[in-house]
Amino acid sequence: MPRYYFNVRHRPGPAGLAVDPEGEDLPDLSAARARALEAARDLIARHRLLMIRDWLVCLFEIEDEDAQCVLTVPFSDTVPDVDYG
Amino acid sequence: MSQPQQASVRNRLLKALSAGDFARLQPHLQRRATELRQTLICPQEPVTQLFFPEIGYVSVTADVAGNRIEVGLTGCEGLVGASPVLLGSDRAPYHEFVQSPGEVLAIDTAAFCAAVDESPTLRRLMLRYLQTTMVQVRQTAYANAAYTMDVRLARWLLMCHDRVDGDAITITHDFIALMLGVQRSGATLAVQSLEGSRFIKAQRGRITMLDREAMLAFADGSYGVPEAEYARLIGEA
Repeated sequence: MPRYYFNVRHRPGPAGLAVDPEGEDLPDLSAARARALEAARDLIARHRLLMIRDWLVCLFEIEDEDAQCVLTVPFSDTVPDVDYG
Repeated sequence: MSQPQQASVRNRLLKALSAGDFARLQPHLQRRATELRQTLICPQEPVTQLFFPEIGYVSVTADVAGNRIEVGLTGCEGLVGASPVLLGSDRAPYHEFVQSPGEVLAIDTAAFCAAVDESPTLRRLMLRYLQTTMVQVRQTAYANAAYTMDVRLARWLLMCHDRVDGDAITITHDFIALMLGVQRSGATLAVQSLEGSRFIKAQRGRITMLDREAMLAFADGSYGVPEAEYARLIGEA
């Protein structure tokens, strides 16, 4: 299984990226996206950090083993698109 | 193998005993090396041995519905297994395992209980120690309710730092996630928050304390209450 690294971007610039040094083995990119959304939901719903004012501006920059960014997942993707008419 | 001498033990409870009380326990103490993740106490199984950590520390975790969260920490200030045994149970619902490997002095529960039954001064010291662990769990409940994830991480890292030699704490983001009851990405963020403030340096599998004073200030009262109670009831480090 490929290993994906779930870096979290919370503001612009190098200081705004929390780097995941360990990564996680998952079957494919869609599993990685599901994992990112699950983590984002948990963070938004249950946790606070002094460093982060708004979870919805954060996004995952998911890298592969070659440190190539293979997918970005905005935390705002956890909010379903609802058509209010 | 020769029995441990009180002058050379590192466990603070054993050091705090009177010479007479140490002599009661000494013939029963068995020196054992510990390994990372080694289970010392299984949930709901009889506690047949207690463990005085000499080097390294032991985590207490609550495992509920597939989630595991760290709820306590015992190092050379303590005695693993003390609370069920001293308070009249023979087991506890929590898992206790080695988070930082090193060495313990193990003692059979029967021998320990016999010594405590014979010596009021030994019992008194052990009950005072239990009071400090009670304060630790209450302070954890307070910290979990009152503080953000980065402050709670600062508190756990200060507690780990108290229980290691030097400034390097061997720990993965996986384990930090367990300490904080958060997904691994939450641990990644909390570590970066403390590293960005230059309190710590994070390397793969290891965190080094750079500025303990600044970390104490950041911990904002979440850390220190049980530690002060320990100093008052048992003795200074």
